[in-house]
Amino acid sequence: MVQSKRQKYLFLLFCLLPTLVVFVIFTIYPLFNGLYLSFFDWSGTGSVKTFIGLGNYKELLHDPIIPKTIWHDYFLVVTKVIGIMIIATFFAVALTQLKVKEAPLYRVIFFFPNIMSVVIIGILWQFIYNPDLGIFNTGLKAIGLGSWTRPWLGSMEWSLPSLVLPSVWAGIGLFMLMLMGGIMNVSKSLYEAAEIDGANQWQQFWRLTVPLVWPQIKTSILYIVITTLNGSFVIVQIMTQGGPNNATQVMGSYLYQKAFQEFHFGYGATIGVMILILSLATVLVLQFLLKREKVEY
Amino acid sequence: MKARKKGMLFSVVAVLLAMCLLVGCSSSSSSSSSSGSKSGKSSDGLSGTLEIQYFVGGYGDAWWKDVIKDFQAKHPDLTIKQDAGPNVNTQMKTRWISNNPPDVVYIDGAGASETQMIEDSQLMDLTDWVKSIKLDDGTPLMDSFIVPPSNYDGKIYSLPLVFDTWGTWYNKALFEKKGYDVPTDFESWMASMKKIKEDEGIAPFTTTGKYPYYFLRGVLFPAFASVGGEDLLNALIDGDKGAWTDPRVEKIMGDVQKMQEAGYIDKGFAALSHTQSQMNFLLNKNAYIPVGFWLPNEMAKDVPKDFKFGFIPSQMHEKSDKASIVPDLRPLAIAKKAKNPEAAKAFVEFAFQKKYAQTFAEKTGAMMNMKGVDLDSDAKVPSYLKDANKMINSGDVQVVQKDHPMSQDFEDPLSDALVSLMLGKMDAKAFCQKAEAAAQKYNAKK
Repeated sequence: MVQSKRQKYLFLLFCLLPTLVVFVIFTIYPLFNGLYLSFFDWSGTGSVKTFIGLGNYKELLHDPIIPKTIWHDYFLVVTKVIGIMIIATFFAVALTQLKVKEAPLYRVIFFFPNIMSVVIIGILWQFIYNPDLGIFNTGLKAIGLGSWTRPWLGSMEWSLPSLVLPSVWAGIGLFMLMLMGGIMNVSKSLYEAAEIDGANQWQQFWRLTVPLVWPQIKTSILYIVITTLNGSFVIVQIMTQGGPNNATQVMGSYLYQKAFQEFHFGYGATIGVMILILSLATVLVLQFLLKREKVEY
Repeated sequence: MKARKKGMLFSVVAVLLAMCLLVGCSSSSSSSSSSGSKSGKSSDGLSGTLEIQYFVGGYGDAWWKDVIKDFQAKHPDLTIKQDAGPNVNTQMKTRWISNNPPDVVYIDGAGASETQMIEDSQLMDLTDWVKSIKLDDGTPLMDSFIVPPSNYDGKIYSLPLVFDTWGTWYNKALFEKKGYDVPTDFESWMASMKKIKEDEGIAPFTTTGKYPYYFLRGVLFPAFASVGGEDLLNALIDGDKGAWTDPRVEKIMGDVQKMQEAGYIDKGFAALSHTQSQMNFLLNKNAYIPVGFWLPNEMAKDVPKDFKFGFIPSQMHEKSDKASIVPDLRPLAIAKKAKNPEAAKAFVEFAFQKKYAQTFAEKTGAMMNMKGVDLDSDAKVPSYLKDANKMINSGDVQVVQKDHPMSQDFEDPLSDALVSLMLGKMDAKAFCQKAEAAAQKYNAKK
């Protein structure tokens, strides 16, 4: 039976419309509403809104905390990308190439943090970093490094770096699985051929694995960047609430503070617009930087 | 043709399904109503619906349920709708935004701010009405408050229901056992902290660095009140010009710096939430902590057997100054756009009765803002509350009122600088200048 064109379109509509409706309501509408609200002085609790044009944007440019939040976010982006990609790639290669017998077990263990809510991870690591009872400090003392102990999350210098560890720990599993999928798709015969040609493991990794799983690496990096710029808020809010004295304040947590705690919803929306622009710009730049010819052997 | 119809039907059903899902998400589950007939006038004229929004936090909701039950019994023709719970402020937000608020609101908890509601002109002006209310014994309500209502340029928009106050807590049992003196001024406090640090090997003072306003409201406000009374305290809260660089303020902030330099402030405080710092205090890892009256109630499940709560109103002032408490009030208000203002007023008047002040102390472990309530002979009232009540009535401690709470716009930058000072990253002078600059910025925007 041949479907008429009309039937085909109706079927497509049937498949797409529900998603489209949900997408419009939950993504497109808030996006434009956020943009709209950024031009108002609005507390977010009452019905009185005053149009102030670019007033919020002017304030944004003069807010001394904004540059800090941007720097903190990009610090997390860079350290997370480096940390997660190195470790995830290492594990992925080890679990696929080195013929580890317990590979399935490790796969489960490394993936485990991904099935936990970030909130739980934040609370868990708060205990780990606890200055008196946490295993971090007690561990340091146990191995004779008592002088290294400090209130990690309560220190203005160490609180931000301290957030990197849980974020990396929580992220490894997913990207390890993605990379493993890529590596397992590489034909075994390529590695055999390389070995016959005398390539060692290291050369095989750089010349074969990396170019062939590049699409997965690129996707992983972009994914880490986007989720960090939009989602670093959760771990910050749980673990430090942006403190001490804004030492861990990121764009998202500052938005929350302004919009929901200080009742400047319009200004919060402006920060939201800034996050959107920065995320888009970063992704575009990365798309350009990570561009490589597709490799096939 | 049939198939086409079927396809259309499918898409319509799909869209409807999606809509149902959306609607399902938005229905609220927080409200409950007690019945009463909707129509018809009762003898006293109260009928229709009365909607009450109240936050349920550390004080629980037992008191509210009692009062509402009694009010319902008195007005059987009134339908009372309750919006209550720990998240009620967020749940009701859209109602306030869309100008469809409840009639009565108890302002407490995260997401509710009396100052903000007044700025958004959401509350009814009660100035004239409240002056006409009399209690059963004939005394005017205005004379029965421990602390009179907040004053916004001469207008009253809310009536303070809960009388809470901040101060510094210590473990009475430990102090009695080890013979530590309870401090009464800054000098004796420093001496006590020195002794405790040496004898116990702990940092004597802790607070939550995640919520620096615990230190601000619990230690600094009473200190400012002791050295400068209402005038200085209100000037500091409003961020008046020169208030934060006043020599008396610089002296107190210098004393905070001294505490930090002597190592009396727990080095990990900045990382701690309020419950974590309170837990450390209960475990005797620290000896002093600034919190409000709700501390024993909040930590009730974790209090060790040999622990006894002791409360100091203020201790950062000179020997020659009087100790102070700065009450922190949780008000009851009526919405400007209330649909049943008569019933709302009747309920507010009904709640402010001495018998309910009595049950409030029994059920919540805190005080209702009414004078002349006999807590001493009531066995159900916790002992720390009796002590505090005695202290307030004794005259040894002055009750210093703030006109209104500090705006979050000002409190946040102040809190940031305070954490730096307490971590030793900023000296007292720099703190005062930073606070002054934040005050000017806040006032310029206002």
